[in-house]
Amino acid sequence: MKRRDFLKQSTFASGMFFVPQFLKAFENNPMIKPFSHKKVVIIQLKGGNDGLNTVVPFNNDIYYQQRNNIAIKQNNLFKISDEVGLHKSLQPLQKFHDKGFLSIINNVGYPNPNLSHFRSTDIWQTASDSNEYLQNGWVGRYLDYTKGNPYNAIEVDECLSLMMKGKTQNGLAITNPKLFYNSMRSPFFNNVVSNYKDAHLSEHNLGYLYNTMIDAKSSAKYIFEKSSTKSTSDEYPENLFGKQLKTIAQFINSGLETQVYYAGLSGFDTHANQTNTQERLLRIYAESLEVFLDDLQKNNAFDDVLVLTFSEFGRRVKQNDSNGTDHGTANNVFIMGKNLKKQGLYNKLPNLANLDKNGNLKYEVDFREIYATILDKWLEVDDVAILNKSFSKLDFV
Amino acid sequence: MKLSHVQHLYNRVGFGITPKNLARLSKKSKINVVNELFDSSKKISVLKVDTSFLKGKTYKDFKTKEQRKELQKISKKKVSEFSIAWFLRLNNPSEILREKMTLFWTNHFVCKSKNIVFTESYNNMLRKNALGNFRSFTKIVSKEAAMLVYLNNKQNNKKSPNENFARELMELFTLGQDKYTEQDIKESARAFTGYSHRFRGEFNFKQKNHDENEKTFFGKTGNFNGDDIIDIILQQKQCARFISEKIYRYFVNENINKKHIDEMVNVFYKDYNIEELMRFVLLSEWFYDEKNIGTKIKSPIEFLVGMNIVVPHKFEKPKQIILLQRLLGQILMSPPNVAGWKTGRNWIDSNTIVTRLRLPSVLLNNAEIAYSEKGDEEAMINNLKKRKLRRNTFIKVSADWSSFDKHYKNEPNAELINYLITSKINKGTLEVLERNQQLSKRDFVLQLMSLPEYQLC
Repeated sequence: MKRRDFLKQSTFASGMFFVPQFLKAFENNPMIKPFSHKKVVIIQLKGGNDGLNTVVPFNNDIYYQQRNNIAIKQNNLFKISDEVGLHKSLQPLQKFHDKGFLSIINNVGYPNPNLSHFRSTDIWQTASDSNEYLQNGWVGRYLDYTKGNPYNAIEVDECLSLMMKGKTQNGLAITNPKLFYNSMRSPFFNNVVSNYKDAHLSEHNLGYLYNTMIDAKSSAKYIFEKSSTKSTSDEYPENLFGKQLKTIAQFINSGLETQVYYAGLSGFDTHANQTNTQERLLRIYAESLEVFLDDLQKNNAFDDVLVLTFSEFGRRVKQNDSNGTDHGTANNVFIMGKNLKKQGLYNKLPNLANLDKNGNLKYEVDFREIYATILDKWLEVDDVAILNKSFSKLDFV
Repeated sequence: MKLSHVQHLYNRVGFGITPKNLARLSKKSKINVVNELFDSSKKISVLKVDTSFLKGKTYKDFKTKEQRKELQKISKKKVSEFSIAWFLRLNNPSEILREKMTLFWTNHFVCKSKNIVFTESYNNMLRKNALGNFRSFTKIVSKEAAMLVYLNNKQNNKKSPNENFARELMELFTLGQDKYTEQDIKESARAFTGYSHRFRGEFNFKQKNHDENEKTFFGKTGNFNGDDIIDIILQQKQCARFISEKIYRYFVNENINKKHIDEMVNVFYKDYNIEELMRFVLLSEWFYDEKNIGTKIKSPIEFLVGMNIVVPHKFEKPKQIILLQRLLGQILMSPPNVAGWKTGRNWIDSNTIVTRLRLPSVLLNNAEIAYSEKGDEEAMINNLKKRKLRRNTFIKVSADWSSFDKHYKNEPNAELINYLITSKINKGTLEVLERNQQLSKRDFVLQLMSLPEYQLC
């Protein structure tokens, strides 16, 4: 009997369904490197955050001309250079900026931008071209490539986004480890799971269903047991986003073998009366992130974590008549981490005098160059195999 | 006709079958069973929601931004009302085959609109053409307001052609990937220039935006319009093959059998008659092959509606229907993108399998389910400290157990297994079920519906 068959059988026979990661990796592909301790936390500001009012060119006349009512005045910014200031709501992140833990990449986008939230989110999540419809996400393909377990990529939500779905492996969506664990613990399920004997069925749909169920159960058990050993004491802001980050911190600090986390904050679609809404949302973002990063530092976990914040698109340079902004294109991306190669502004702010025919910013950095950089330099995997294309690498890690 | 074959037929062209109907139909011959299926789907029952808020209104009533915003708000609500109305109809359709085909076509001619008038028109258009002629069907699709907006053909004019619709027409609706060139897309996009619609969705051809110059498409040259392009596409046998394969994957088996497809192409290519093709499939020997029975993973809608056939139930808060669809990964009227829902194993991940296995208890036995507030509401509650952020809720359902009792009163628990599960059963699970024979019929059926085997049809 081949070793691989033996391993499979013994797992089923013993009724122990959790196969440790190193065994699974070994079993599927002996060439794969052992588990990497590096982690990426991906945050999406959903709805299209107005990047121009987040990273503000406060000496730029065009900016103030185009945004008569909603431009951010100098006294509402904290300055990070002679020309650039950040929205005052981001103040909680200043200390990280000052220590060099923040890198801001400007003018990130892609060719032929799509202005629909859903479509553009798909493009960012699948890392596709704008006229290409991929049915799996870049993190999912990372799981395919590393032959990972569902819990190697966790979305803090009830439903799994396209980003987390691969061709052969999916990540896991989870909000409450205890509830998830308990929902699989009824005596009936235990009975059904522990009586699964037809391992040969795995080629068929029924085998797939059983295996997914067993995977879910072992992931739920693993996450629940591992994470319940450590509870986080820090005071996170009382909102959904704060709660998401708290869950992620708990997972990271417990040493969960999860490489990618995904969380999101909604409401950035500011077509009208943008000022208050954005101020409130960015504050939620920054306050929660501050507690999160402090929490990681206290637990000596920050060294291995990279936080990537993106939005599906930026907004039109010229404000509209309702004191808001309409859907735009290129935007800034925030990278946070302890050992960044380039700190502060990664590149120049957009040229407001050179817009596309719709009055939108022209992109300079393809968002997939950021993914490629993270995959290659941070997670140390073959970015071309995962992104299906070769992109040039940036220099932030 | 064999019981198990009638059951298989109704699992695939419907959402299951009651023991009474099963007994009745199994006394008939195959041809008569299939004829009855088509006869009962001759009628077209249009699906409508109340849109009286638009009565007497014209585009002039929506000139200001505020008016348009208000319209969008109402319209969006109405679209989810429509989605619920369709779900309720699927639970109790008079034209089973037609409704199932409509569901099939929503994942072929994929489209989504926030406008209730366009949404209603598009969905009923699919219903009307579901068993009709694929040629006229495709032409009508290209002129529907919902589609003109969804794939930007409305913005397609001779000065700056928009290729979105032309590309998807070939890639997703008729030929499949790599069966055409980029040049074909460019030329055909020009043929679809000038397509537009009026306020109420009527097709409006804007001659002045249409490119009257010659186009060269699949080796033919002429001053083609959109209909001409569709005719040329349908001359390609590949189109008949592409559609046959899609129907085979949906109704027969996800894995293609080339011989069966060749037979289907021969039937379909000559005049693109969808009813004739479906009749051929449902009367074929291979449709009832053992390897095609109980091997397909149910879509979320098939799963939800199927449970309702076993134990009819009503949702006290109809909006929770959409919540469930979201948790399972398929919201009616809201496909993820123009490529539609990924089917088969793609329906199942660690989360959806847990939800599916739990759902019978949640719906019929008052178990809890977790969910979070979403979308528009989320922005609001971010600031409300006191409100519970994430809640567990009960889906309030009134279940008609007496209907279940009536249908299955003569069936012992061992027989229930055959009514509910058509797939092979894992040996260990079968042993568990055998040990549980003494359970009440209601408890036993809940267990059956909570099995991985129940996810197959």
